[in-house]
Amino acid sequence: MLEKLNGVKARFEERLQNLNSIADLEDVRVAFCGKKGELTELLRSMGSLSPEDRPKMGQKVNELRNLIEEAIANKREELNSAQRLEQLKNEVIDVTIPAEPEVKGTLHPLSLTQERMCEIFRSMGFDVVDGPEVETDYYNFKALNLPDDHPARDMQDTFYIAEKLLLRTQTSAAQIRTMKTRSVPIRVVCPGRVYRADEVDATHSPVFHQLEGLVVDKGINLCHLKYVLEEFAKEMYGNSAKVKFRPSYFPFTEPSVEVDLTCSECGGKGCRVCKGTGWIEILGAGLVHPNVLRECGIDPEVYSGFAFGIGIDRITTTSYKIPDLRLVFENDVRFLKQFK
Amino acid sequence: MKVSLNWLKKYVDIDVPCEELCERMTTQGFEVEGIEKSSVMDNVVVAKILEIEKHPDSDHLQICQLDIGGGVREQIVTGADNVFVGATIPAALHDSHLPNGMHIKKGKLRGVVSNGMMCSGEELCLQGTDFPGADVYGILILDSKWEAGTDMNTVIGADDCVIDFSVTSNRPDCNCVLGIAREVAVCLNKEFRAPKADYTVKKDASAKVNVTVEDFDLCPRYVGATVENIRIAPSPKWLCDCLLSAGMRPINNIVDITNFVMLETGQPMHAFDVRDISNQQIIVRRAKENEELTTLDGKEHKLNSEMLVIADASRAVGIAGIMGGENSEVKDDTPAIFFESAKFRRDSVRKTARALGIATEASSRFEKGIDAFGCRFALDRALSLIDELNAGDVTSWSPDVFEELCESKTIVAPLKRIEELLGITVPTDIIITILTNLGIEVKCENDVLTCVIPSRRDDIEGVADIAEEIIRVYGYDHIESRPLSGVLTRGTKSKQHLMSDKIKELMVSCGANEIATYSFISQKAYDLLGISSDNTVKLINPLGEDYSIMRTQLFSSMLSVMALNENRGALDMRLFEISKIFLPKQMPVTEQPEERKVLAVGLMGKKEDFFTLKAVVETIFAYFGIKATYAKSEEVFMHPGRQAVITAGNSVLGYLGEIHPDVANKFGIVGRPLIAQIDLVNLFAIASSKVLYSALPKYPAIERDLAVLVDVSQPIGPMLDAIKSAGGALVKDVKLFDVYKSDSLGENKMSVAFSITMLNPERTLKAEEAQKVFDKIVRSLEYRFGASLRG
Repeated sequence: MLEKLNGVKARFEERLQNLNSIADLEDVRVAFCGKKGELTELLRSMGSLSPEDRPKMGQKVNELRNLIEEAIANKREELNSAQRLEQLKNEVIDVTIPAEPEVKGTLHPLSLTQERMCEIFRSMGFDVVDGPEVETDYYNFKALNLPDDHPARDMQDTFYIAEKLLLRTQTSAAQIRTMKTRSVPIRVVCPGRVYRADEVDATHSPVFHQLEGLVVDKGINLCHLKYVLEEFAKEMYGNSAKVKFRPSYFPFTEPSVEVDLTCSECGGKGCRVCKGTGWIEILGAGLVHPNVLRECGIDPEVYSGFAFGIGIDRITTTSYKIPDLRLVFENDVRFLKQFK
Repeated sequence: MKVSLNWLKKYVDIDVPCEELCERMTTQGFEVEGIEKSSVMDNVVVAKILEIEKHPDSDHLQICQLDIGGGVREQIVTGADNVFVGATIPAALHDSHLPNGMHIKKGKLRGVVSNGMMCSGEELCLQGTDFPGADVYGILILDSKWEAGTDMNTVIGADDCVIDFSVTSNRPDCNCVLGIAREVAVCLNKEFRAPKADYTVKKDASAKVNVTVEDFDLCPRYVGATVENIRIAPSPKWLCDCLLSAGMRPINNIVDITNFVMLETGQPMHAFDVRDISNQQIIVRRAKENEELTTLDGKEHKLNSEMLVIADASRAVGIAGIMGGENSEVKDDTPAIFFESAKFRRDSVRKTARALGIATEASSRFEKGIDAFGCRFALDRALSLIDELNAGDVTSWSPDVFEELCESKTIVAPLKRIEELLGITVPTDIIITILTNLGIEVKCENDVLTCVIPSRRDDIEGVADIAEEIIRVYGYDHIESRPLSGVLTRGTKSKQHLMSDKIKELMVSCGANEIATYSFISQKAYDLLGISSDNTVKLINPLGEDYSIMRTQLFSSMLSVMALNENRGALDMRLFEISKIFLPKQMPVTEQPEERKVLAVGLMGKKEDFFTLKAVVETIFAYFGIKATYAKSEEVFMHPGRQAVITAGNSVLGYLGEIHPDVANKFGIVGRPLIAQIDLVNLFAIASSKVLYSALPKYPAIERDLAVLVDVSQPIGPMLDAIKSAGGALVKDVKLFDVYKSDSLGENKMSVAFSITMLNPERTLKAEEAQKVFDKIVRSLEYRFGASLRG
């Protein structure tokens, strides 16, 4: 019996020595530990031993079994890691080969700018509202304090649909609708398309975009206007951006100002973009004209407000340094894909 | 408004450089659009000769030591022999330019340094007639009154500059030199000197022209005057210089006076030949229908009854505010004239000028608006010039016709209200100075200002205007930045706006690039699509046919963009646009059309087909929880077999399909464009993007494949629906995974294979139960679609 046992051990050790694959190892395991394996046979043959020999022999056989199982487990791990090592070696790749990024679409630069502007004002508590593009004479002109004989109403500037129907020339038309439908305090911005009969060139388009802002409350003054526009400028162009007021004229604001912003190109030092002044003219603003407030049923003796109109197209072309407005409406995909 | 600095100096002392004046006027509300300098040389200054010595190596050269101002001495060598110690001469310094184009640099003359050149009259392009002594041979000897260092441009009167001020439309009073001069006076805090407007009446008029205004609504005031014994002659140089600085050509004293007064006061003037005014009657009336008149420029015009004319007893002699008639113009032998200084209503002048296609200096001023009170002053100024120039005899005849002139306006402005609007406190004495300088009579009692506004400033209507006048002069730089206070509000965005943002995000995730196209399109776009443009909103005055119709669909704009890109070499593209379409509520359009936000998606390229487009559209519907139904549609511009109308419940969500190859070709596209247009108003109405958690399945699902044979004409969509309804609650999901057509399957048959996922959320689904459901599904397909199970 002991002889047998030693024979099994010797054969096992020999075979273990000479194998070099997981499959071989499995064969060895079956050959020794399988149902008909040598070790199993040995265990089975224990029954024929005398009761006094059995424990002694049993212990030896168990020892052998432990030894075999441990050896197999060790060998398996050894083979596995060798195999994994081999696999990893074969799987080496050239990490410098380029990969194309996932194809994502893009938003139009006008959308990007408009959204960014809306978000800035929204963070200051302004609601974003919408207004019709085909407007009545009343909302686009009359209620905005543009009397019938005002030169700005001339056919040259405005596209007409019918006698008192036109394409809005300014988002200010939405001011009136807002003031008539909302109650004070009012803080809104209205982005959108506006239309003027300008021939197409590098800086003009008959279709363009504005963002109108309106605040009406008790005690609103020019200092508040300056604050809001300054905050906008800082958010849009960085903390060093400043705004400057220059007197101007709009029929629907009084006082009216033209607002200059620190030139985003040169930071105010003076360059070609700002024609050496360090400032770029970016928007018109002012305190809402008392006649306009009155027209909307708001008492100008009690309330005041400010309004501003920002050219989204101009902000878009200056902030992305787009040299020609025509590119914006041309929609060449090579252009569009740049605005990630 | 172009104004010469020298002209301005007649009314206000200007002691700052031109550039500084421009800057300060800009901050006061008069932006400078350009400066034209009349200087003809640079770095040429007045110098005094201090010493003269002979050149050691030349018998005709002399070495002069010059005082060139500012305590600086320069040595210049000259060959001229008329110089003497103490002489005042022009010296061109190193790096100077002469009017004749010469560039002077320092150099050595026979070994002696010469830092420039002394100039002759000829070298400065001067002639004896313009500048005394310029014809003298040798160096120009100047009057010793000129200080050393003075710019020679100043000496010869070439130091003017013409400043082009931008005048906003609320300030028509500044479309003239006096208006600008008043603002300059305020700006520099100097006194404004009005020009003289007095004259001597020489005689009574022998021709008393009577003025009748029939249409006061279009002509609130008409002032006239007769001048006799006209002596036509050229105008003096100062007057010609003024006209030339404004770009006007001097003609003769009478014409020049009318032009000068217009430029100076802003009031257009006209002069009629009294001989041509029949019955000595001026009638201001609306023209008769088809009345004809030849204007001063020789052009014939046919007038209508909306136009205002100046007529005599028998015919029109001028178009009011625009141009005089040829029939009454001032001629070389005109013995007597009748001056007109009137106010015509601005929109009337504008409409007439547009209708006739004439734009004149006069009409542009009337269109912007002039002061009715200025008519008299302008006429007096003209008569004063007649006197001064001795161009005729002013008569005592000067009719002034008006119906009613409003009194000057008084505005009560509490200082507190001004402060509330500006947000800052401007010292009261400064406020009073500013307003007074602006010509506003102001009194301050108990912190309340009482302001009497001059008639020329009818733009000033209330406290807000007063506040603006104060701050624009005081300076906007005084405005501080102050946060808004009051109720804290949250900035909101409408649900529609947020959903539209979401769609953009989804489209970007689908790899589409957003485009932006014009809202108006051409008739041709409709023709190419083969659809009617009858029910559209059309512009009365488009920029051209290309931009004449407010679009009712986004297909044609999308196709144009696709054509442009294909033409530039792009083969694969995914594009989208969200914009409004304009649907008329009635024809002809009388009220605002319905504006609907729509989405257009356009795909083209090898990898794109109807189903990739449908997948993009489904991405949106899936997000908003919409179960859309697709049915074949019949749009003429789409492929007859590859288009569908999309509906959900009762609402039509839009269309999608491949564009008809013929239509694509007409747009210049070779590829196969696919376009979907989704109505976002309808979509938003049924959209829901609310997410609620549903329990994860605890039990395993059973997946079964099902392949059936059906007629090739059988649409598959309804079969999917049938599987779901036959399978009931246990069917979790059905996917189509194969469609196979082959003759071997039988004539007109195809094999359609589905993968069906079944699950019971309560317990493990047994195979027998799944089989039962499966059999039910098969029976339903057999019954409804004539399908047979493929073995």
